[in-house]
Formats: sequence, structure tokens, C-alpha cells
Amino acid sequence: MLKKDLLELCLLQLLAGGDKYGYEVLTPLRAAFPDTQESAIYALLRGLGKAKLTTWYMAPGGGGPDRKYYQLTSAGQARLAALQEDWRHMRDAIASFGVE
Amino acid sequence: MKHPKSLTREQYLKQFSRAVRWRLPPQESEDTIADYRELIFQPERDESKLVEELGAPVQAAHLLTDVKTYRRWLAVFAVLAFGLFLLAKWAWTGMTVTTGFFSYSNVWYPVWVMAAGLLLSLYWFRRHGQKSGIVSKWLILALAVVLIMGCGVLYEIWNVTGIPIYEQLTSHTSRHRQDVILLITAMMYIGVFSALAALVGLVLARCQDRRWLALYILGLTVAAMIGFVTFNMKRMDLSMPDAHEFRTYLFIQLSLMGTAGLIGTGVALC
Repeated sequence: MLKKDLLELCLLQLLAGGDKYGYEVLTPLRAAFPDTQESAIYALLRGLGKAKLTTWYMAPGGGGPDRKYYQLTSAGQARLAALQEDWRHMRDAIASFGVE
Repeated sequence: MKHPKSLTREQYLKQFSRAVRWRLPPQESEDTIADYRELIFQPERDESKLVEELGAPVQAAHLLTDVKTYRRWLAVFAVLAFGLFLLAKWAWTGMTVTTGFFSYSNVWYPVWVMAAGLLLSLYWFRRHGQKSGIVSKWLILALAVVLIMGCGVLYEIWNVTGIPIYEQLTSHTSRHRQDVILLITAMMYIGVFSALAALVGLVLARCQDRRWLALYILGLTVAAMIGFVTFNMKRMDLSMPDAHEFRTYLFIQLSLMGTAGLIGTGVALC
């Protein structure tokens, strides 16, 4: 798994926990991957939308202007399951070398 | 380590919008700008860390660029801009690289450049461009300026081509000679100015509103007409008909070019 796949996995996992607006998605991911800029994460998020793994809708946001909320599609859920499976295999493979 | 330059939210959005409008197709760039506006103007966002967190605006736009689509646009832009460069060069120097070798055949070069520019630009922007709001008053003003200059130079061409060639060449002290010098100077400057105006129109058609293509087409037309007249006047063809016939021939061709250019300008504005 490449770092991009890990980012994608985390991003999809975040959205699996409920619909979120852009800043809500980008901030925790940037905290988890500090050497990755938010623009790179946003580009990934946009790519997921183009691949129909996510969709979006506008909704009122905290008294301010409407926000764009991102939502996982069924294709996105399938992709998340596949990435989770890859992740488990990788984790087990690494653990077999004694890496904790 | 190089510290990122600090930008205000407005500066960041402005630079990002400019970069993204150049690189992405219109609808995609507008969507992305709306998303970035939301991200940048989050109340929780620390303005002083904007570049650090989001990356430099151009870099952010680069990350969103679909390389294949962007390269296709760059190729189209390069062809159109090269055409304008040729027209500006021909207006300024009155020469092509083949002048001297094929001096009788090159009078049509500007017409070919105009035809290629007209067709390619209309095809590209009708297919990939997007309108944005009402027509800019700056576009109307720019079109009026280029049109007035084009009409002015055509009027002068009409006057000078009515003078017999013999008088143009021999009446060194007469008003005719001054008219010829004035015309050549006007054609040089207005040709280059029109090509530059066309280039500005092309860039703005990509970055703001596709109707700016009208300025590109009008500038292209004026520059091509000037190139056509320059080459015809410089070809030193001794079998050339008399002044009246030459003027008739020239203005029939110019009318056709002008009509095509004005139709193209109108189509670009629709």
C-alpha cells in the first residue's frame, strides 16, 4: 500500500463515520499525516468524487453560509472494504517480520 | 529551509483562482474555487498558516490539474499564440522567412493564419469555454478600440492605394509620400497592437469568460488584414494592374476577410 492508498483509506473511513464537510475531513487527516498538505488531501477527495466513490450536497453550516457535505456512495463503501482488506494483509505481513 | 510566504485569505483565493482558471476547465475551476473559498474562510482557520497548511496557491492548483487535459489546452494556446506572433512580426517587419525566395506566394500567409486561428479558437472555446455573467464593459471597450483602429487603417489603405504607384515612389516631397509613410507606420503599430490585444483576449477567454474570444478574433482579423496588405504592397510585382484595379482587388479580399472576422466575433459573443 502506498501512502496515497493509506490516505484514501483514512478518508473513506472518516466518511463512513458520517457525512462531513471539507474542513472536517481535511483537518484530522493533516494531523495524522503532517507532511501532507491539505491541498493534496483535497485533490484526493476531489478524485474520489470524480470516481463516484463519494457524492456531495449543500447544507446549512453552523450559522454561516451553506457548506458542502461529502457522503460515501455504495461504490465508496466497496472501495473502503477492499482497502481495509489490503491494510489487514499488509499489517499481518509486516507483523510476521516482528515489526510491532 | 525556505519559509512559506504568508498570504491573507483574499490574496490566497485570488492567486489560487487565477492559477486554477488557467489550468482547469471552466466548470471544474469554478467548483474548486467555491470549495477553496469554504476551506479558506473557515472561522477556525489561522490565516497566518494558510500557505503552510494548504500549500502555495500555484502548487495547490498544480495538484488538481489533469495533466492530459491541461497539455491539450497548452498545445491549443501555443498554436494560437504562435499565429499571433507571426502576424505581429509580419506587421512590424513586413517580411516572412521565405521573403526573397517565394516573394510572390507569401501574400496569403496571413489569411491562412487567420483561418486557422478562427476555426481552432471557435471550436475549442465553443466546446470547452464557459460564459460568466453579463458581457464585460471592458470587452466592449476593447472591441471598440480595435475596431476603430482597424477601420482607421483601412481608410488610410483606401486613400494610399488610390494613388498611382509611380507617384507613391517618385513624389518625394508631396503629401502622397507623407500618406504612404503614415500608412506604413500605422500598419506596423496597429498590426502589433491588434495581435497583442488578441493575445489578451485569448488569455481572458480562458481565465474569465469565453466571450473575450471576440477580442481575440477581432484582433486576429485586423492583424491578418494588415499582414495581407503589407505583403501585397511589398511584393514589387511589375505586372501589377493600375492603382484603381489594385485597390479593387485588395478591398474585395479585405472585405471577405473582414466579413469572416466580424461573423467570428459575433459568434464568439453569443
